Parts: sequence; C-alpha cells; structure tokens
Amino acid sequence: MIRLQNVNKYYYRGEEREVHALKEINLEIKKGEFSLLSGPSGCGKTTLLNAIGALDSIDSGEIYLDDMEISSLSEDARTRLRLNEMGFVFQAYNLIPVLNVEENIGFIMKLRGFDEDVIKARVQELASLLEIDTKLSSLPSTLSGGQQQRVAVARAVAPKPKIILADEPTANLDSKNSKTLMDMMRSLNEKEGISVLFASHDEYVMRYVRRIIEMNDGAIVAK
Amino acid sequence: MYKIILKLAFKNAFLRLARTILVIVMIAVSMSMMLSIQGLYDGMTFSMADKIKRSDCGDISLYSKNYRITRAIKDDISDATAIQKELLKNGDVDAVVLRLKAEGLSSTARKSAFSVIVGIDLNEEEKFGQFSRFLKQGEIRLGKRDVLLGSELAKKLKVKIGSKVIFSTQDSTGEINGISLRVRGIVETNNILLDKSALFVDKTRLQKFLGVSKEEATQIAIRTNSQTLLKQLQARYPHLDVKSFLELYPIIQQMQDLMFIFNSLSFLIVMLVVFIGIMGVMYVSILDRIREFGIMRSIGMGYSLIRSQIFLEAFFVGFVGYIIGAFLGFFALKYLQNYGLDLSEFADGLASFGYSSTLYATIKFSYFSSTFIAIMAASFLSVLLPLRKIKNMNTIEVTKANI
Repeated sequence: MIRLQNVNKYYYRGEEREVHALKEINLEIKKGEFSLLSGPSGCGKTTLLNAIGALDSIDSGEIYLDDMEISSLSEDARTRLRLNEMGFVFQAYNLIPVLNVEENIGFIMKLRGFDEDVIKARVQELASLLEIDTKLSSLPSTLSGGQQQRVAVARAVAPKPKIILADEPTANLDSKNSKTLMDMMRSLNEKEGISVLFASHDEYVMRYVRRIIEMNDGAIVAK
Repeated sequence: MYKIILKLAFKNAFLRLARTILVIVMIAVSMSMMLSIQGLYDGMTFSMADKIKRSDCGDISLYSKNYRITRAIKDDISDATAIQKELLKNGDVDAVVLRLKAEGLSSTARKSAFSVIVGIDLNEEEKFGQFSRFLKQGEIRLGKRDVLLGSELAKKLKVKIGSKVIFSTQDSTGEINGISLRVRGIVETNNILLDKSALFVDKTRLQKFLGVSKEEATQIAIRTNSQTLLKQLQARYPHLDVKSFLELYPIIQQMQDLMFIFNSLSFLIVMLVVFIGIMGVMYVSILDRIREFGIMRSIGMGYSLIRSQIFLEAFFVGFVGYIIGAFLGFFALKYLQNYGLDLSEFADGLASFGYSSTLYATIKFSYFSSTFIAIMAASFLSVLLPLRKIKNMNTIEVTKANI
C-alpha cells in the first residue's frame, strides 16, 4: 500500500545541507499492518512519518500510496490526499479548541462531505467504542490528556482512511491511558482493517505492534 | 462542508468574545462618528443653500434680460403678475414670489450704508420660505412705514427696533427720491448679501415709491423639486433671464464641492483607522491561532477553506459592527437633525461664512450604503496580510508545540 524507494531528506541551514535526516529509505507497508517506527530520539522517525503523510517534502526518491507517487504532488493535492486517504494522531493531540468533542470527531468527515446522519452515527459508534460518549458536548480544554488523545484517535479513524499515522501518541499519557489507547487502536485496526504506523519509542507501543521498523541516524537498520 | 466553515467562523467569533467585541465596538463607534460628521458637513451646506433659496432666489429665478447687469428699476419685468399666475398653474411649481428691488443708500442721523430695498408680500414670502423664521428681533409686520432690516446692516447703521432710517434711490423716472422708514424688526437670513444690505418693505408701498405699476417686479422666484422645470421655463420665456439657484449662487456649488472633498477625506481617514484597527486585531487573533490553522491544514483542510473561514469571521464582525454603527449613527444624526449642534460660541465666525450658529445634520441613504461598502471592504482587506501568514506557514513547525 505504501512504498518508499531511495528516499533522502536533508535539513538545511541557508543553502548548506546541515543534517541528512533520511538516508536511502526503502520501505513497504502493507494494507492492514499495525507497525512501528522505532529508534532513539532524533533518529528520523517523525521525519519519515511526516514524509509518508505528505506533510513534509523529500529531496530525492519516491513515495507511493497504492500506485500514486505522492512526494511530487502540489501542496493542494497533498492536502487533499491527507484529507481523503490518511488519518493523523499527534503527540500533542491537536484538537480544534473551539469545536466540542462531537464536532472534532466528525470534522474530517464533514470536510469530506459525508451526510449528517452518517457522521452522527459514526461519531456515536466511535465515542462508545473509545468510552468518550459522555463527553460529546465538552470542549477539548475540559478533557484529560487521555480523553483528548482518544478524541484525536476517533477523529483520525472516523472517515475510515487507508492509513493512520500516529506520532508519539502515548508520549503525554500515563501508563494506564497508554494501555487503554493502544488496546483501542489495535481493536480498531482489527475491526476496521485500517493500517496504522506509529513513530514511538514507548514500550507499550512496542508490545502491541506486529512489526517494528528500527531506525538509527536517519536510516532503517532493521525491518 | 461550508456548514462546518460557518460554524468554525461563528464559534471563533463567539468564543473569542473580547477580541470580537473590540473590533465590533471599534467599527461601530468609528462609523457612527463618521456618519455624524458626514451629516453635519452636508447639513451645513444644505442649511446655507436652503436659507438662500428661502430668502432670495428659490430654486429658479426669472429676471429681465438686462437686470442682473444694470440693477436698474427700468429693467424690471413689466408683466410679472401675469407670469406669476401662469406659473402657479404649472404642476411642477410649488411656490412663486415677486420681489421688487432697488439699490440705494440707507442712512440714519450718524451712519449710512449702501443698501438694497426689497419690496415683498409677507403672505407670499411666508408660503415661499417661512420668512418669519428669519426674525431675530422685533416683529414681522410691514405697515405703511415699517422696515425689516438685515442684521448686519442694522449693526452697521447702529439702529434698534423703532429707530428711523431714510432710504434714498433713483425711481423709475430717474429722479432721486427718499423714503422715511421705522425699524419694525431685524432679520437674519444667513444669506450674507441680504443680511449686510437688505431693507424689506411692503411691495405695494415700494411700487408706489418707485413709480412702477402693480404688475411689475424685478425678480420672480420659484420653489420646485422638478429637474426639468428650468429648461421648460427657459423655452417658455426666451425674453427673460431664467437662472437656476446654482447659477445665481455659484459659491454654493463650490462649497458643496469643498464639503464633498472634506467628507471624502474624513471618510478615507476614518476608514483607514478602521482598516488598521481591524487588521491589527485580526492579525493578533490569527497569530494566536496559528497552531489551530496548522492542525487544520495537517489533517487535510485546504487553504481555500481556511481563507473562507477567516473571510467569514471578518464579514461577521464587519457586518455586526456596521449594523450597530448604523443604528448609533442614525440616532446621532436624528438627534443632530432635530436639535442641532450648538456652536453659538463661534456664532460670529460662522455667520461671516453664512452659517447659522446651530448646525443641523442631514440624513441620506447614501451615507449608509457607502459606509457599508467601505466597512465590508476594510474588513476583507484587513485579513489579507494575516492570510499570507497562514499560506506561508510551516505546518509541521506550528503543530509541534505542546498545548
């Protein structure tokens, strides 16, 4: 489903290449996978995740989603791709502060033009599954970190994207909440068949995934 | 999809209430002040023009061909009464007065001044221009020897109510004649020419004094709202000099132009302040939410939708500000229209320009329509710079920060 060929990415200081952040990355992630990009801080996990999620550009190589090469797409096309094909879960939750839980979960579905009834049913279904159905009318600022992250997961999963990219989703959660979140994400992966790719060095995440992709110093060292 | 954009725009406006109220108050206050200034500026020229029309030339005046050059009694309109009767039958004509004028010298025992004696019919003048409202002192009555003096002339001659004034002029036969008059009232028309030189007397009495018939007058003044009457009368009376108000008082046209420039400049300055104010608040508001916009873009919300959201927010605050400003402005204008702005401390200065000491505002629909366009334009333009910031933001960088 996702294929990376000889992907290189540099960080620049002015005209000069300062850091070789991704080095000749070749990787394939299949449909339905529940996998993890692992490695020490600064090894390039988030950079690779951002490149796969069309959030960041690369300097050379190719990234395919199914058969479509996505790294050369325009900014607008990449935004559409993220909307229609991908879901994101961020370390800092990144919910929209002025929308309540129900509106946050249904936000992407609304942008994609789903019917109101379909959105309502899907929000209800996910809220029950993630045990946040009593918080639907609350604003994100009134929720705990664990609850906010569950809302973020529900938002990412709601429109049934091809893949969910989760960057350190448990970093701000305690162990209990981390376990709950991972249980829920694995359950969604199994029930909905959505591929999930984590970038994390959290033990809990490592225990749950079926595949670990080890990175070090911008390169993949073990798949 | 646009429903969620609308919701975001409104929620942002309501949840960030202090910012929204600040912009709305800024728009409303600036706009109501702008409307008041516009109304007062226009009211000043309108009031001046209105008084000139009421006291002198109306909307259109008819003279004999040479009168405006010679100012001689021999160049009067010999069949003025017949023309007046004919004009009163014209549906476009609201009121007509005949006036008989002669230039001469008015004098007291100690003072004298160049003057114009104006023969009027008080009943006709009342219908034509509510003449009695010009009274400053004394009473409006024109008996056999009564005279109503222009306020500035009265000052110059140092006369009071009851004082005697002698007016001498050349009659229709060319003889120099004098008439003894007693001051019955002092009038202030705010028409500088009249206030400085006019002596209003009964028209019949003046006709006898000047030796002209009852059918004669030097001026036929007409009140009308018709835009076509001037051409109609010019065609009907080719032997007469038919002039519009602005042709007779070109200074009013100049003042209207000047007021238009003042109004436009004030309008531009106020709108510039509003524009900078809204832009400042919107810019801070958008910088404050830059992470939120980064999140939206990272999860797939296109720039065009974010732009629509911000435009909607700007439209919302602009529109609410406009509505409140329009109400405040309307009430301020209504107050200024009814009670005026009392500037009696500057009465002498204002009078020298032909303005009364109380300025009254006018209300025109165009104030509200032009302000609406300007406020909306200022609101939309004010978000262009903040929008550039969003367009050029680094989504990854702005979403990195912790909540």
